[in-house]
Amino acid sequence: MSDTKVTKVVLQSNDGTTIEVDRVVAERSMLIKNLIEDLGDESVTTSAIPIPNVNDPVLRKVVEWCEKHRGDSLQSAEDESETRKKVTEIDEWDQKFMQVDQEMLFEIILAANYLDIKALLDVGCKTVANMIKGKSPEEIRKTFNITNDFTPEEEEQIRRENEWAEDR
Amino acid sequence: MAPAAMSGMPHPVRDDIDATWAYLQSGITKIMMNLQEGVDLQTYMGIYTAVHNFCTSQKAVGFSAATNINSGAHRGAHLLGEDLYKKLTEYLTDHLRHLVTESKAHTDEALLAFYIREWHRYTVAAKYIHHLFRYLNRHWVKREMDEGKKSIYDVYTLHLVRWRDVLFKEVSEKVMSAVLKLVEKQRNGETIEYNQIKQVVDSFVSLGLDEGDSSKTTLDVYRFHFEKPFLEETKLFYQNESKQFVAENSVVEYMKKAEARLEEEEERVKIYLHPDIGLPLKKACNQVLIAEHSNILRDEFQVLLDNDREEDMARMYSLLSRIPDGLDPLRSKFEAHVRKAGLAAVAKVASDADKLEPKVYVDALLEIHTQYQGLVKRAFNDEPEFTRSLDNACREFVNRNEVCKSGSNKSPELLAKYTDILLRKSSTGVEETELENTLTQIMTVFKYIEDKDVFQKFYSRMLARRLVHSNSSSDDAETSMISKLKEACGFEYTNKLQRMFQDMQISKDLNTGFKEHVQSLGVKGLDSAYSILGTGFWPLTAPGTTFNPPEEISADCDRFARFYRNKHEGRKLTWLWQLCKGEVKANYIRNAKMPYTFQVSIYQMAILLLFNEKDKNTYDEIMSTTQLNSESLDPSLGILVKAKVLNVSPEGEKPGSGATYALNYDFKHKKFRVNLNVGMKSESKQEEVETNKTIEEDRKLLLQSAIVRIMKARKRMKHQMLVSETIHQIRQRFVPKVADIKKCIEILLDKEYLERLDDDDLGYLA
Repeated sequence: MSDTKVTKVVLQSNDGTTIEVDRVVAERSMLIKNLIEDLGDESVTTSAIPIPNVNDPVLRKVVEWCEKHRGDSLQSAEDESETRKKVTEIDEWDQKFMQVDQEMLFEIILAANYLDIKALLDVGCKTVANMIKGKSPEEIRKTFNITNDFTPEEEEQIRRENEWAEDR
Repeated sequence: MAPAAMSGMPHPVRDDIDATWAYLQSGITKIMMNLQEGVDLQTYMGIYTAVHNFCTSQKAVGFSAATNINSGAHRGAHLLGEDLYKKLTEYLTDHLRHLVTESKAHTDEALLAFYIREWHRYTVAAKYIHHLFRYLNRHWVKREMDEGKKSIYDVYTLHLVRWRDVLFKEVSEKVMSAVLKLVEKQRNGETIEYNQIKQVVDSFVSLGLDEGDSSKTTLDVYRFHFEKPFLEETKLFYQNESKQFVAENSVVEYMKKAEARLEEEEERVKIYLHPDIGLPLKKACNQVLIAEHSNILRDEFQVLLDNDREEDMARMYSLLSRIPDGLDPLRSKFEAHVRKAGLAAVAKVASDADKLEPKVYVDALLEIHTQYQGLVKRAFNDEPEFTRSLDNACREFVNRNEVCKSGSNKSPELLAKYTDILLRKSSTGVEETELENTLTQIMTVFKYIEDKDVFQKFYSRMLARRLVHSNSSSDDAETSMISKLKEACGFEYTNKLQRMFQDMQISKDLNTGFKEHVQSLGVKGLDSAYSILGTGFWPLTAPGTTFNPPEEISADCDRFARFYRNKHEGRKLTWLWQLCKGEVKANYIRNAKMPYTFQVSIYQMAILLLFNEKDKNTYDEIMSTTQLNSESLDPSLGILVKAKVLNVSPEGEKPGSGATYALNYDFKHKKFRVNLNVGMKSESKQEEVETNKTIEEDRKLLLQSAIVRIMKARKRMKHQMLVSETIHQIRQRFVPKVADIKKCIEILLDKEYLERLDDDDLGYLA
């Protein structure tokens, strides 16, 4: 790798648009971090990094989040700290950030999973979890627009199996 | 989400394993075989995306398709990836099998080069593929491992496992034999490409995977496949080499060779081996290079000692210190040698034990000690064990040698005498620092003296003499010596010595008071000074003769006695006439420009003062006036006659009845002050005998008091125990004989300090 460290990289969404971001911002994605490490700085100075699974609006949204969180300490990939798992609180900025339509929310989650941005994936999943919390199955179906494809027998069986979890 | 169309590369259908794999394989192959050509961004992202897409395909995702909940072994979401993992494993196995076949074309260094090249290529690729398959690692592999599946590894580890199981198993022995050949070449002096070995080591170490926990590594593989053969080969090589070398060269040469080889091997570890081999390799080398030749090394030690080959002894020390118990035989040889040297040094100066100068004797002891202490420092690393051997040897030859044969107390006696010579005022002024150094050396010998009580006896006698005659060279030196003794033997040992000093100080003050007292009386007294010496502390005895002091003196003495009694009622003063001295002025001598001053003992003074009355006195007259017995009178007269202060008639007559003494008016001397109070040889000889006599008595008392002290503390004790405890307590002073202790116990039983109880027990009677 060359001594002069590249500070900017260009990301290309699957509809062909490009976004220039700071290297540290892009490196919130483990995928991109590893890529630069493997292929070397030069490879990303000349051409844009294609992101074949993410479209432009979603990519912009993801980049926005990464910009905001550029200074966060990078959790090591293997760090499964208990606090991270348990806390369902989301900080205010992230809550606002996640106030998008459902379609966009799921796109962000998928992109975070694909790009390997653990913290963003967590925020996304917590948001969905909060949407489910305290709702009945019917309400949940309504919220996410899910058709009930269980037969009554199946539904009864599931209910019995999960009786222990019922909040009585 | 629609699968993205990629430029340049057709993207596989996401859930079609064959199509996906075909796409991946071409990418992986490129990375594995042609990485140097580089991978472009499209390919990199393409492979990653293909893995991602395959794993997230079909049933696993889709929020509207919560199907199959009851089917499948997994609870919750079904994670795809097993197919990919299997394919990758197969691919790696194929690749490695191919390499095994290729490796057969190479041997030795070419094989090493091949192994290293392929290993390097493989591990670099593995890192890439690990990153590209990260999605598989994060989900499917993680899930499998969380569920406790063995033999599923993250992708990088999978690479290592395959390498180990397919390729390493087949070629490691050949690689190792190539390594060993290379090392042997280097040991034979050739230059080798040792970087190759280092890389092989690194590779072997990397393959040590902990089966229980993939995040940890172990050194098992490396130890078994590298260390073991390496150590065996090393042993064999040095066994052969050393055997041959010893047969053809001297032991000294061999030691140099072994030292160089040991250093070389240590360097080898630093330069290109794993630090883990450091200790076992050192052990192996120590075994074959030193332990297996330790006998011939030790046999050579005596030769080196005899020839003062310090450097070679240091070398031998450092070699033998590397093996367990290697130095013990050296130490015992060293001890015996020092003892012999010490005895020889004493024998050389001891040809005439009676006339032996204390200085010559002590110097002989010190010289040996200094010489071998130096050797211990320089050649034996100043090791405490060797110091102990030195101490043992010194204790032996200091206490039991040619000189001590004539009397077991000879060593402490001579040492005390030498100290006295040093501390006495002498014409040859010794520098203060030099004196201090010599005193320190005295203490070195003192440390080895077993009969420290003998030294104490002689020392206190001589100190008393120095103080009474005030001819001590310096108070500082005296104090320094006493504090040294105190440090070595404790307060009790020097208690009396210190009290003697105190007495001298008190006496000084007393004299000042007395002078003032005399002045206030308005009488014209003598210019006198008195010393009050505590009976218990001073090793002095009352004079062995009656004495009638002359009028002039007794008047002053009586005045002082009254003055003293006034101050300290009830104290008894005993005049130690034999230690008194004074000066008289001789105004009668003709042809003297100024009067001579005679420094005389009080006895001589009494004799001379008789001649104030008449010029001639007979022996019997002198004796009856002075009341001195002949043992004291005769030598005093003898000196006066010899110095020609008195003339005897008939001429040449020995002191005794019939001799008449006359004042010599024609006395002549080159000095105006004439010292007539010269120590009489026979006197000190007699003192020596006396001192030795008191020692035995004192020892008995010392033993008895120790026994009583012990019994008072223990109340009841076995006879045997009491004896050994007594020995233990008294050993600092002298080495007691068991028979003496038993005798003392008998005495104490008779005196009813102790009683006999049953079972061989002794009891304490308060």
